[in-house]
Amino acid sequence: MIDKATPSPTAIGRVVATELKPATPHQFHFWTATETTVGIGAIVKVQGAGSTEQGAARVVYGVVTDGFAYSDLATPLHDVVGAEGDPARAADAPTARQEIRYWTAAVLRQTPEEPLQPVPLGQVFLADDADVAQALRMDAFLYSATPTAIPIGLYTSAGREAPVYLDADFLIGPEAAHLNISGVSGLATKTSAVEFLLASIFAHFPPHKGRVAAVCFNVKGPDLCFLDQPGNLSDEDRRRYDRLVVPAQPFERVKLYAPLKADGVNLNTLRTHPDLVGDVEPLTWGLQEVVDYAEVLLNRDDIDAKADAFIDFLRDRVLGRTFDDGFGGTHRVQSFADLDRLFRSIFDGLEITAGGRSDTWRTHHIATMRKVRNRLLNISTRCKGLVTDDGPASDLPWTEFEDRTVYVIDIANVDPLGQDLVFARVVSKLREQLERRELGVDAVVVFVDELNKYAPGDGPDTYVKKMLLDISERGRYLGLVLFGAEQFRSQVHRRVVGNAGTQVFGRMDMDELATPGYQVLTPATKSKLATLPIGELMVRHPHFTQPIFVRFPKPPVLRGRDGVERFPPAADVPFDDAVVRQLVRLDRRIRPNQVKDLIADREQDDVRRALAATRRTRPDDPLAYFRKVLGSRVAAEVPPAAPREHRAVQPLNPISDEPY
Amino acid sequence: MTWRQALIDAGAVPVAFVPNPAAARGSKEDTEPADRAAFVEGAELEAHPVPDRGGARIPPAVSFLAGFARWGVVACDGIIQVVDAYVAAAVRRRDGRGVLHTRFERNRAFAVAPLERMTPGLRHVLEASVSDIEPIDGGLAGQPARYLDTVESTVRRVRAGLERELAEQCIATLGAEEWLVLDGLLSRSPTVARHPRALGVINSHGTQFLEGRGLERALTLPAGHRTSVFAVRGGHTRTEVYSWYLRLWPWEGNDLLYGLLRVEARPDPASVALASELSGWLVAERAPLATPATRWDRLLYPLHNVEEYLKARAPRDLSTARHRLPVAS
Ligand SMILES: Nc1ncnc2c1ncn2[C@@H]1O[C@H](COP(=O)(O)OP(=O)(O)OP(=O)(O)O)[C@@H](O)[C@H]1O
Ligand SMILES: [Mg+2]
Repeated sequence: MIDKATPSPTAIGRVVATELKPATPHQFHFWTATETTVGIGAIVKVQGAGSTEQGAARVVYGVVTDGFAYSDLATPLHDVVGAEGDPARAADAPTARQEIRYWTAAVLRQTPEEPLQPVPLGQVFLADDADVAQALRMDAFLYSATPTAIPIGLYTSAGREAPVYLDADFLIGPEAAHLNISGVSGLATKTSAVEFLLASIFAHFPPHKGRVAAVCFNVKGPDLCFLDQPGNLSDEDRRRYDRLVVPAQPFERVKLYAPLKADGVNLNTLRTHPDLVGDVEPLTWGLQEVVDYAEVLLNRDDIDAKADAFIDFLRDRVLGRTFDDGFGGTHRVQSFADLDRLFRSIFDGLEITAGGRSDTWRTHHIATMRKVRNRLLNISTRCKGLVTDDGPASDLPWTEFEDRTVYVIDIANVDPLGQDLVFARVVSKLREQLERRELGVDAVVVFVDELNKYAPGDGPDTYVKKMLLDISERGRYLGLVLFGAEQFRSQVHRRVVGNAGTQVFGRMDMDELATPGYQVLTPATKSKLATLPIGELMVRHPHFTQPIFVRFPKPPVLRGRDGVERFPPAADVPFDDAVVRQLVRLDRRIRPNQVKDLIADREQDDVRRALAATRRTRPDDPLAYFRKVLGSRVAAEVPPAAPREHRAVQPLNPISDEPY
Repeated sequence: MTWRQALIDAGAVPVAFVPNPAAARGSKEDTEPADRAAFVEGAELEAHPVPDRGGARIPPAVSFLAGFARWGVVACDGIIQVVDAYVAAAVRRRDGRGVLHTRFERNRAFAVAPLERMTPGLRHVLEASVSDIEPIDGGLAGQPARYLDTVESTVRRVRAGLERELAEQCIATLGAEEWLVLDGLLSRSPTVARHPRALGVINSHGTQFLEGRGLERALTLPAGHRTSVFAVRGGHTRTEVYSWYLRLWPWEGNDLLYGLLRVEARPDPASVALASELSGWLVAERAPLATPATRWDRLLYPLHNVEEYLKARAPRDLSTARHRLPVAS
C-alpha cells in the first residue's frame, strides 16, 4: 500500500520568518528555487536545521496554500524607466533580477505535538508516501491492528504519487459520517467520484465493521443504470487502481429498481435494452405504503395538524379494516379505488343525509378531508406506475440486504412528488430496519445526487428535508450514511452539509467560491479549485487539518451516457408482451402464447392486479398462480360493483386551484 | 560567545560606533592622488556618442566582482577602541539566461586593535578569543578621530587586497569569451590591468584627472556619450590604465556627477578602438535599474547584485547601534 521510500535527501526549500511574516504553530513560509515542482496543494516536511540547533527533533508537515514570486524591483516604475518606456525592451535587460519563489504553507501536523510551538526555521523536503501518511494522520488507522483505511485517491502534487485514505470510522460512522461533494456540472466528476468511492468502500470496508451496502437514487437520466457494466479505463487509470488496491471492475452485485410506467407493465427506466432489462425489479407501492408517508405529500406545501390527524385516522381506523361510514355504508379500504368510494359516500352522506347542514364528519372538517383525498388520489394519478391503484407492493428486500451490494432506485422519470415519496419511504425504512438491526447489513450508504433539490437551504421545511437533516445528525450511530452531491453547496441546507464529516470539492464555480462558506480558503486555493482538472478533487476529512488535493481514477463502470449508446433502451412493448416478459422473469419455462391466450380479453386492471400478486407472492408455479388470481373467464365478465368511470380516480379539483 | 562578549566579561566597556555610511563612501578609494591624464585618443577630450541599446554588443559571458566592508568599534579598554571588522568580495558570473551565479568568494573577519597599548588582561582575552587581529598604530589612540580614520583606511586596504586577490584568481580562469567587470579600480593589480577582457567601473569621482576644458566636457557629458580615452596611473603599483568617462543618464536636472561612470581598461590601442563598443555595452547595463541602491544612476545592476549578495551573507551587524539615533543613508 504505502511505499516506504527512502526519504528524499535533498532539501527543496528553506523556512524563512520575519517579524512581519513569522512562522507560527499553524503556518510558515519558505522559499524554493525558481524552478521547482512545488505548487499549491503540495505536502512538505520541515526538519529543524542542524542537529545541534534547538528544534532539530521537531518535524512539521504542511500543505502549500499560497505562492508568491517577486524580484528586487522596488517599484514597477523602475522597470518602466529601465526599459525606457518600451515593454518590448524590458526583456533585453542583460541581467535577470534576483527573484524569489516564496510559499505559504499551513501546518498539517507537528511531531512532537506537545508543546505546540512555532515551526522551526529548518529545511523543507517534499513528502514521500510515509510522510503523507504522517502528515494526514493516516498512520493511526492505516497501520493499526484493525485498519479502517478507505482509499480516496492519490496525492499527486510535486511529482509524487501517494495514496490518500479516509478513515472508515469517520466516513461510515460511528465517530463521524457522511460525505458531501460539490462542483460544477460535467467537470467536477461528482457522480464519478462517488461511484469510485463506493467501489473503494466495498473493497476496503474493514471486516470487523461488518457488512455494508449502498442505496443509490438515480435522479438524472441513465446516470447510475449501468453500475454492473464495465467502462473503458486507460492504462493510467488501471495503474491508479493497482496503486490504491481497488479492483478495476464494475460492481459485482447490483440490484436496480424502477417503477412501472403509466401502463402498469413497462418499466420506467432507461435500462430497458433486452439484454439488461431482465434484472430490473419493478418498484410499485400500494395505498398502505403511500398513506404511511402521506405527510410527504402534504408537507410539501404546508403543515397542517388537522390533515395529519385525519391521515392518522385513515391509517389506524380505516385501512384494511371493515369500516362503517355512518351513513349506512360499509367499506373495506385496500386500494385507491376503495378509498375514493369511501370519500364519495362520506361527501354524499354529508350532502344528502345531513342536508348540507353539517360540514364535519367524526370531528374532521370536510375541507380537511377534501384536501387529504385530493392529495392521495392525486399521487395515484401523477405517479401511476409507482403507486398502483390497487396493486400490492413490489418492494426492496427490507430484511435481506446483501453485503457489498448496490441497490439503485431509478426515479429519474418520476414526478417530483413521487420522487419525494420514494425517497422518504426508502430512507425511513432503512432507518427503521437499521434501528432494529434487521436490514441484513450493518451500514448503508445512501447516495443522493442533486441534493439541493431535496434539502435546499431555503424554502419550506419539507418532510424530505427534515428526514435528511435527521440522518445527517443521527445517522452515524445507526450506520445510515448520506453521500450527497450537488453543484452548489451554498444552496443546500447548512446543517446537512455541515454534518458531513468528509467534504469533497471538484471544479468549482467562481461565484460559488465567493460565497461565505469558502472564506477559509486562500485565494490561491480558490483559484486552484476554480481550474481543477477533471479527476482531481479537494478533500476535507476529520483527520486532515487542511484540505488535500487528490486524483482519483475514472470509475470502473459504464458511464450512463455510454450505457444508453451501447445498450439502447427498447421501445415500450405492447401490454401483452410486457406481461409475458414479467412472468417469464419469474419462470423461464413459461411460453408467451400461454400467457397471451390467458389474458386475451381480460381487463388490463385485472391482469395488472394478478401480475402484481404473482410478483409479490413468488409462487413455485407462477403461471398457475397467475391464472388462479386472474380467476375464471366467467368471473371476470361479471361487471364490477362500482361504476366503471369511478375506477379511474380523478381529483375533485386540480391540485393547484385548490382553496385550502 | 563572541570575542566582544569575552572582552566585556573581562572588564572592557561595551561601546557601539559604526561609521556614517555616507561619510565612509565619500572617502572610499578614489581619492588617491593621481597624475594628470594623457590623451591617447585625439589631442583633446571630446564627447563621442555611443551605440544605443539596440546596437550594443553584450558579451555572452561576464563575471562581476564587487567587495564589501563593515566595521564598528565594539569595546573600549580605557580609551583604546577595539574594532570588529568584516570584509568580503565575490565574483558572480552571468549565465545565458541572465542569472548570476557565484564563482568566487572570500571574506575575512578580524579585529583591529593596538595590542601593545591594551591592558595585559584584556589583551590576553582578545588574543585568546580572536585569531585574526590587524595591528594599528598605538600612537593614534590618544586622537580618537584620527584613530578612526586610520581604522577606515586599514579596513579599506584589507578589502582592496581581498578584491585584488579575487580578481587575479578570476582572471586566471576567465573563459575565452568571458569578460570581468569589477567595481572599482582596475589598476590595483598589474595582471588584471593588462588583461584584454577586464574593465574597472568607478562611480565615485574623488580623484580628478582632468582640468579646464577637458574637465568641463567630462562633467557636462550628455547621456549616451563617452569622452575620449586618456591614460592614467593609479593604485599602489602606479599601474597605467586607459580610461574614459561615460554618462548613463542625463545629468541635467540632477547634478554633475549624475549617471557618470569612469571606465578603466588595459593600456592598449585596442582599448581605444573598443571604447565606443564597450561603452554601448555598459549603457545597455542600465536595465535593470540597480534600485533601491541610492546611487542606482551609476551602479550597474550586476555589481549591485554582488554587493547585495555579500551583504546578505555578512554576519549580523557588528555592533548594536540602537542607542544612537538612526542615520539616514
Ligand atoms: N477520474 C476521472 N478522470 C478522468 N475523467 C473523469 C474522471 N471521473 C469522471 N470523469 C469524466 O468526467 C465527466 C463528468 O463526470 P460526472 O458525470 O461524474 O460529473 P458530475 O459532476 O456528476 O456532473 P453533473 O453535475 O452533470 O452530474 C464524465 O465524462 C466522466 O467520464
Ligand atoms: Mg452527476
